[in-house]
Amino acid sequence: MNKFFKKAVKQTEFYVFLIIIVLSLVIQARSGLFFANNNIVDLLRSMIVPSIYAICALLAFVSTGPDVSFPMIAALSSYLALTVTNRLGLGGAPWIITFIIGILFGCLMGALNGVIIVRYKFPSLIVTLGTSSIFSGILLGAFEAERMDLPQNLAAFGKASLLTVKNAKTGLGSTLPMTFLIMIVLYIIAYLVLNKTIMGRGVYAVGGDEVSAERAGFNVKGIRFGIFVVNGGVAAVAGLCYAVMSMRYLPTEYAGGEMIVIAAIILGGTRMTGGIGTLKGCLLGTLLLTMVSNSLILLGISVYWQRVFIGAIIIIGTAISAIQSHAGVKVKTRLKKEAA
Amino acid sequence: MENENILCVKGIKKSFGGVHALRGVDLTIRRGETHCLAGENGCGKSTIIKVISGFYKPDAGTIEVDGKGYPVMTPAEAIKAGVQVIYQDFSIFPNLTVIENLAFNQVLANKKKLVNKKEFRRIAEEAIKKIKFDVDLDALVETLPVADKQLIAISRALLDNAKLIIMDEPTTALTKREVDRLFEIVTDLKENGVTILFVSHKLEEVFEISDSITILRNGQNVISCPMEEMTEEKFAHYMTGRHFDTQVVKEVNEEKYGDVVLEARNLTAPGFEDVSFELHQGEILGVTGQLGSGRTELSLSLFGLLQPTGGQILVEGKEVHIKNVSVAQKLGIALVPEDRLTEGLFLPQSIIRNITVSRMDKLGNKMGILSSKKVVEESAKWVKDIGVATKNHEFPVQTLSGGNQQKVVLGRWLANHPKVLILNGPTVGVDIGAKYDIHKLLRELAAEGMAIIVVSDDASEVIATCDRALVMQAGRVTGRLSAKELDTATLAQATV
Repeated sequence: MNKFFKKAVKQTEFYVFLIIIVLSLVIQARSGLFFANNNIVDLLRSMIVPSIYAICALLAFVSTGPDVSFPMIAALSSYLALTVTNRLGLGGAPWIITFIIGILFGCLMGALNGVIIVRYKFPSLIVTLGTSSIFSGILLGAFEAERMDLPQNLAAFGKASLLTVKNAKTGLGSTLPMTFLIMIVLYIIAYLVLNKTIMGRGVYAVGGDEVSAERAGFNVKGIRFGIFVVNGGVAAVAGLCYAVMSMRYLPTEYAGGEMIVIAAIILGGTRMTGGIGTLKGCLLGTLLLTMVSNSLILLGISVYWQRVFIGAIIIIGTAISAIQSHAGVKVKTRLKKEAA
Repeated sequence: MENENILCVKGIKKSFGGVHALRGVDLTIRRGETHCLAGENGCGKSTIIKVISGFYKPDAGTIEVDGKGYPVMTPAEAIKAGVQVIYQDFSIFPNLTVIENLAFNQVLANKKKLVNKKEFRRIAEEAIKKIKFDVDLDALVETLPVADKQLIAISRALLDNAKLIIMDEPTTALTKREVDRLFEIVTDLKENGVTILFVSHKLEEVFEISDSITILRNGQNVISCPMEEMTEEKFAHYMTGRHFDTQVVKEVNEEKYGDVVLEARNLTAPGFEDVSFELHQGEILGVTGQLGSGRTELSLSLFGLLQPTGGQILVEGKEVHIKNVSVAQKLGIALVPEDRLTEGLFLPQSIIRNITVSRMDKLGNKMGILSSKKVVEESAKWVKDIGVATKNHEFPVQTLSGGNQQKVVLGRWLANHPKVLILNGPTVGVDIGAKYDIHKLLRELAAEGMAIIVVSDDASEVIATCDRALVMQAGRVTGRLSAKELDTATLAQATV
């Protein structure tokens, strides 16, 4: 237990966890509504889309560098998936068919990112900024996408609920949609691949030292290309989940989602220079930021002040991990001197 | 029958777009020996290693490992044949655990798809057992000291049944104690029948560890012989092709000293305490001691990078408070830092810019706008004066060799005409020719009246350049040696 605790103290995730506990207690004390069943379900509901995005951001950061194109890939591939479903009259088919169509389009767009980044060794930030703008132009310009209703299969999927709760005191109710399961499944798959397969460890190895990875025998280019293709697919799933949960497709609601997600995973301990980051950290970071944006209303803090809060939390959170690594360096130099 | 030679390469040629890196190199290594491959930077050492390990395809020549010829050597074949390279960067993954670092190569070679934690641990334990290396297998590699990272690389190499281990400048980042430990391991490996190719240009190490030696210059063999036939003078001569007087001629003439320029009285700061000395014009003072003795901290405090907590610093008889670097510069004190790569140079920038950066304010017109003509003239003068070997001073500094980079740092500070020049490890990582040039330059500067402090743990350097030396130990001055007392034996005694 002691060893476990010692290890935990070294991890950024642990501090995020502490902040979450403290914040939830504060909100509970002030409003008495935080631990209400409907609030918890609301929180989980709001986490679904950002935490799926967080997988994209994590994979990109750990292996290569930032990917900011996932919201626009989500928007465009969702649009294409819905349009294809409608045109081919697949509205009666199971919902998963529409998802698969979306994933295929998403992977295709991710592959475009991957080719440019891997083949030409361009920085991923610039490339994904560029493709992001292209995808958005195609969506709103070429396709003139507008809000549209969901095909029958997705509408039904959206209405189905995993869990419905009602707060006895306030009479407020809340529903946990089926998309929550999609998120859980994605996280389980990602966990297994990243931790239990050699390829998954390769993602970390490539992010740690590209040249060493190549010498050890990892297929560096293959891994990086694969990451961006997978990211496209995962983004498409997030996009469709968002549409399902809003019960309609809203093309203009996607843009700008990347920043808060990236902030969440950095908060969760993902290192911007690559090689380090966990799914646990993604979930905790997302939970924290979602809590802040959802629950400050309970404290009666205005929406504008929320932004200040989120900004402050991002800076403090990142500072903690920076200080940690600083402290690490100091200890190291001291040990070195003692050894000499 | 076992072949006597573990490695035999003949007539290797390799050129990169018209530049002949190797012009027919031969290298024969007997089984079980420790062979040294020496040569100045750019002589083709790294290229021949990459040819042997299969990363470069030679234009001509043959490679034989353990009696078997390899018409086309690939990295995978080289490993199969038992050739392993320990690179300078160790080829490790800082973000992963020791276990993973050790196990990846073998797991990947066996084309495994899934992570089996037990197997990973078994491989890792087997690896560290081979060199009796004691380390926390679950630690992240980035938290370990450099020496441990190297041992990880070595034990990983042994896993693949290495018969020949090539160590590329293995001692560069190690402390003296760590080097000793490495040499113990090398000796152990030798006893177990592993052959070592030790790539280095450090004279002392080469003589300490090697059985035989091959020296390269400009991509050609200069000599191959058993170590017994090699002397220090021959070594320097073969490396550089120049003849050196074994040491820089040093005329110590105390009468020629000018006034006291810099004085420390009972100076104390984090890392050292109660240090006093006087430094005259035209004098070179050595400060020596082991890593952690406070020598580096002393130099930093004289340059305003570390605040003293007690004692006084006097410049030309007046007490001064060196709050920061710009105060130090105004007082005419200059510091050439220890790690020139991270502390002293803007590597991707041109030589011109690197030389003139500390003098920007003096190279402008009244409006404070830089005059590019003055900048070019100034830097051209210094490039010539200090002998930086380059075709064009518009080239980025990173294209220069270590010795020439060090000269650029020197040139920058000299451009300011300092009264006191402090050099911390002036020739660390510098090859023998450039080292000689730098020592000569320092003597010349002193002869012109500059006061110089050389902080160094290299005994031969202190002997070659310094008029006097302070010996530091655990933050205190434990010895003061005059010019007459300065020789290898007394220094070794004093620094123990």
